Amino acid sequence: MEFKEDLDSMDDRRSDVADFIDLKSLDQVTDLTSQIHNLPCCIRHDGECQVSDYFKPKKTGVVLEGLEVEEGSFRGRRLRGATVPVPDGYRGLVLERRKDMGKGKGVEASDENSSWEATAKFDNITYWNHDSFPSQNDALMRFLHWFPVADALHKPVTVEDLGCISNSLDQKL
Amino acid sequence: MGSESLPPWASQPCMMGIDEAGRGPVLGPMVYGCLYCPLSYQKTLASLKFADSKTLKEEKREELFESLKEDKSIGWAVDVIDPRELSAKMLKKDKINLNQISHDSAMGLVSRVLKMGFLLSEVYVDTVGDAEKYRCKLSEVFPGIRFVVAKKADSLYPVVSGASIVAKVTRDRALRNWVLHESVANTHRNFGSGYPGDPETKSWLDDHKHPIFGFPTLVRFSWGTCSSYFKDAVEVIWEADKEEEDGSNNKSGKRQLKLSSVGFTGQKRKSEEVESSAKGRSKFFQSRKLELVTDFH
Repeated sequence: MEFKEDLDSMDDRRSDVADFIDLKSLDQVTDLTSQIHNLPCCIRHDGECQVSDYFKPKKTGVVLEGLEVEEGSFRGRRLRGATVPVPDGYRGLVLERRKDMGKGKGVEASDENSSWEATAKFDNITYWNHDSFPSQNDALMRFLHWFPVADALHKPVTVEDLGCISNSLDQKL
Repeated sequence: MGSESLPPWASQPCMMGIDEAGRGPVLGPMVYGCLYCPLSYQKTLASLKFADSKTLKEEKREELFESLKEDKSIGWAVDVIDPRELSAKMLKKDKINLNQISHDSAMGLVSRVLKMGFLLSEVYVDTVGDAEKYRCKLSEVFPGIRFVVAKKADSLYPVVSGASIVAKVTRDRALRNWVLHESVANTHRNFGSGYPGDPETKSWLDDHKHPIFGFPTLVRFSWGTCSSYFKDAVEVIWEADKEEEDGSNNKSGKRQLKLSSVGFTGQKRKSEEVESSAKGRSKFFQSRKLELVTDFH
């Protein structure tokens, strides 16, 4: 299955180019579930690293606001976090720019159209706060609110939905 | 840890000495130790030749520790503060300095022994920071106890010398038996004394630095000593440091280090670069850090 989306239609400066995201081989791609961490800092490094040798988070057994609190540390700072599933109907992907594109251009021109490839997938993400306990007010938890909102705004209304609404209206009356 | 079942002298007025070991080292735990006995035992205690632990050889300290453990008229307790705890507290958003940590630990020991049921009437403490302020703080928390807070209390009062042996021996043993939390090959245990100036400690730090993670968690990341080792490490930017750079909170202790300044390559970065701010969008998106992305880079 090839997934191609014309993302550039939203940007009128670049009307005739398109970014590609290739989801062809999602079944063979590495599953990084439970290995994706969102840290409360910016690490100016892009590349591989033996993370699990050093980063050994633990479950604390404490549950706060429905979140199982985990604890870890990075560069001396205490991290507290929680693991959150990717919402139903969505999928977490790690994308990498495809190397064979942009031929003849030499430099990877960031303003040109580019092709992306999913190199890994994940079904959950562990996010970390510096010191503070995870809470439903954290940006990552609140960002999940977008999904039901997006559904309400964009999901096509089915006949069943209309049936449900009229039923509940009948009950109220 | 410490002595357990309550001896008959617990209800007599007791004295206690409190001292620390491993406050200065850049690695390993900091240990607070206390020793307590009935006031009536004071003279015997003075004859036991507990000198300041730093002036004794390691074997002598071990020997004295073993003999005081056997002594039925002496009780002792320790508080071992993990280096991870020290780093975490000193690098918190609201930083807790080492003096505060030390005071809390000493007070923890006093309340632990009181709770066990000992009647403490006098407590001798080696000072951390201003002695008089420290004494007032202790007296406020424990109004029933007479506190003597002094510089070099470990060489002035035998009960504090005893506490310093308890603390020092515990710290040395803890470091000797330390199990690294990291599963990294080629580690060794030649920590040296742990003091930043010790050549052995220096080479241990050199051998165990990591470009991303910095060091194993045995190391106190909040120590200024770490900065020179991070010069060629990957830069890490924290929100807590950004606030500090923006002014206001600049009261951090000398030993505390701003990790953000480590490996900085010139221009300052604004927060927008670090995370999406969803600038110019509805508040719903701003507070959720949701940004509309039309292409990836």
